[in-house]
Amino acid sequence: MYQYDDFDRNFLKERVAQFRDQTDRFLAGEIPDDVFQQLRLRNGLYIQRLAPMLRIAVPYGTLNAEQLRKLASISRDYDKGYGHLSTRQNMQLNWPELAEVPDILAELADVNMHAIQTSGSCVRNVTTDQFAGVAADEQIDARPYAEMLRQWSTYHPEFEWLPRKFKIALNGAASDRAAIAVHDIGIQLQVDENGRTTFDVYVGGGLGRTPAIGALIRENLPEKHLLTYVEAILRVYNRYGRRDNKYKARIKILVKAMTPEVFGEKVDAEWDLIKDNPQELTRDEIDRIVACFEPPDYPAVADATSALASKRLEDPAFSRWVQQNVAEHKQPNYAIVTLSTKATGIPPGDVTDVQMDAVADWSETFGFGEIRISHEQNFVLPDVPQHQLFELFELARAEGLASANQGLLTDVICCPGGDYCSLANAKSIPVAEEILQRFDDYDYLHDLGPLDLNISGCMNACGHHHVGHIGILGVDKRGDEFYQISLGGNATNDASLGKIIGPSFSRNEVVGVIERLLDVYVDYRAEGETFLSCYRRVGMDPFKERVYLEQPESQSYARAG
Amino acid sequence: MPVLVKDQQIVADPWQLLESIPDYVPDNAIVPINQLSNTNANGAWVEGDLEVDDFGEELAKLDLVAVHFPMFADGRGLSLGSLLRSRYGFEGELRAIGEVQPDLTPFMHRCGFDAFVLENELAAKTAIQCMASMSDFYQGSVIQPEPAYRRKHSH
Ligand code: HEM
Ligand code: SF4
Repeated sequence: MYQYDDFDRNFLKERVAQFRDQTDRFLAGEIPDDVFQQLRLRNGLYIQRLAPMLRIAVPYGTLNAEQLRKLASISRDYDKGYGHLSTRQNMQLNWPELAEVPDILAELADVNMHAIQTSGSCVRNVTTDQFAGVAADEQIDARPYAEMLRQWSTYHPEFEWLPRKFKIALNGAASDRAAIAVHDIGIQLQVDENGRTTFDVYVGGGLGRTPAIGALIRENLPEKHLLTYVEAILRVYNRYGRRDNKYKARIKILVKAMTPEVFGEKVDAEWDLIKDNPQELTRDEIDRIVACFEPPDYPAVADATSALASKRLEDPAFSRWVQQNVAEHKQPNYAIVTLSTKATGIPPGDVTDVQMDAVADWSETFGFGEIRISHEQNFVLPDVPQHQLFELFELARAEGLASANQGLLTDVICCPGGDYCSLANAKSIPVAEEILQRFDDYDYLHDLGPLDLNISGCMNACGHHHVGHIGILGVDKRGDEFYQISLGGNATNDASLGKIIGPSFSRNEVVGVIERLLDVYVDYRAEGETFLSCYRRVGMDPFKERVYLEQPESQSYARAG
Repeated sequence: MPVLVKDQQIVADPWQLLESIPDYVPDNAIVPINQLSNTNANGAWVEGDLEVDDFGEELAKLDLVAVHFPMFADGRGLSLGSLLRSRYGFEGELRAIGEVQPDLTPFMHRCGFDAFVLENELAAKTAIQCMASMSDFYQGSVIQPEPAYRRKHSH
């Protein structure tokens, strides 16, 4: 992990003191509401439907046991004993008191954590693959570069007041677990034939009202230019991005209006003038940051292949869990474990203080004290010796963190929706719960294979519905909660946006519709074909026919439009 | 009463901002940029979205450039200020006018602004405190081009 030094610690301390002063001045009536709103947002503090919400940064989803224990104690002391893992790898608290937020931030600073730039029109938490540094399919660990970007973008003098929020994601593995195609800037890292790290840079991806897949504007950028190139993009965006309409203010709108080619030329022209400025990364600095993420010294552990195989035969539940939630590690005899938060009856991503403490303990017992948060809102333990998998499984099962559904239908991504969010058209958590309840047969789920089902309560798309293989979007129809369903979205390599299947459905129709969609897939799939590739081959029609044909005539009025 | 902060101090304002051009333009006038060629003024005011590539060289010769911030969270003036200083070598007074909130002055200051017109004396004093609230930053800026790591880790 990145090691804080005196500079980082002092910076955080001063930032906390600054926010405390801003809060005091606000409470004393010296700062108008609209100004304080912007100031608090830059410290992660929202005011929501029911209470304030504090979004705590977990840079690129990596934290250590001490930090997770701190999150547990904060959620116990200042909140209702639980927190929420967000789709940007952060942790959210839903019930803090405004006046106590400076104290929470001070406690976070004690363990080198903060809420800086987790909201507001600025560069947000930089995200990456939750398996970075340990994934078997990884070419290069993206975390050091995410850290360089984090430092560079923190309290940037020129880019803290952008037209709109700005999200950067990096990926260094063959399979894209960071969804780089739907970010304002997406960066694919690679090692070229001369052994040098280079970047392919995509801009203008995003979800929300106007979903878009990012366009490639620069290939093979040498690593020392990372920050100056991003600076050039942000300067073009800061100067020319629209500020008259917040729905047209994201960089994707500018890129589209200019065309990616012209936008890329403008960035290049700017970059030519600044690329040798002192923000160019020095070799020493790259080495210093990369060194913080050097793999630990893995003690040799015995080969557990045969013990594991026989345990799996004995215990089918364990076997399913290994199949779904255990990923291949770079290091022989180690494994990466996903601890799913998606259990029936619990909003996806919610974790209690007790679970947080338990995960922190396990990260030490079964690893080197490191934990990851994935954008699918799960915990990940990156360094588990294979011979301890069963032990971990039993502990996780006792804490409700062992659903064997990673990447399956019931590993739903879901926004807070109408239960918490004032912008919602419809509730989303109850829909997720109905789906989890209806599809609880593991054999069926495993047979369906990889399936991303994503739910958002409105077109702001916090639940990433556009990039779900199946996407569900809450819409408002004459004051009633309806759901629009789309198919064929994909957030990873070969990213695509889902297409709407047709008129929307009422809440009690949704689960039945999902069931029919799955039936069509099972009927049409070729040997070994996933839902997504089957859909891409056969197209929308078979799905559409099945879903609409058999509906009773009398309900069709409700689905008009 | 608006109060001027220059180089972290409250000072009297020797300049006079003109919205339009009267018959007689005093020496200390800050005129709208589109009037610059009609006068001998040494100060001009501009909007944050000015196309700096067209006006940068002309502005760089002046004694004072005032950048108007139309609303509190509009960061275009920050890019404009940075570019006037770092690309066009402007060395005169760079003044922030319009919606200049104390909590924004630290950003403006690091983008090269050295003068700020605040709403009143309390705001002016707060701005001076705000600019002193953080002692160092990760990345370089107009006033400190070297990022922190180049200063602390290099030899
Ligand atoms: C609780 C109330 C919440 C409100 C009012 C809210 C509001 C919004 C709004 C207005 C947007 C759209 C921004 C745009 O137009 O670009 C947005 C986007 C987003 N929100 Fe939320 N949000 C909430 C909770 C959450 C939570 C809990 C998560 C994480 C699980 C989340 C994740 C996201 C993500 C990832 C996006 C970005 C979609 C994109 O890439 O454009 N939001 N949110
Ligand atoms: S998608 Fe809409 S309903 Fe869901 S959290 Fe975001 S803004 Fe709220």
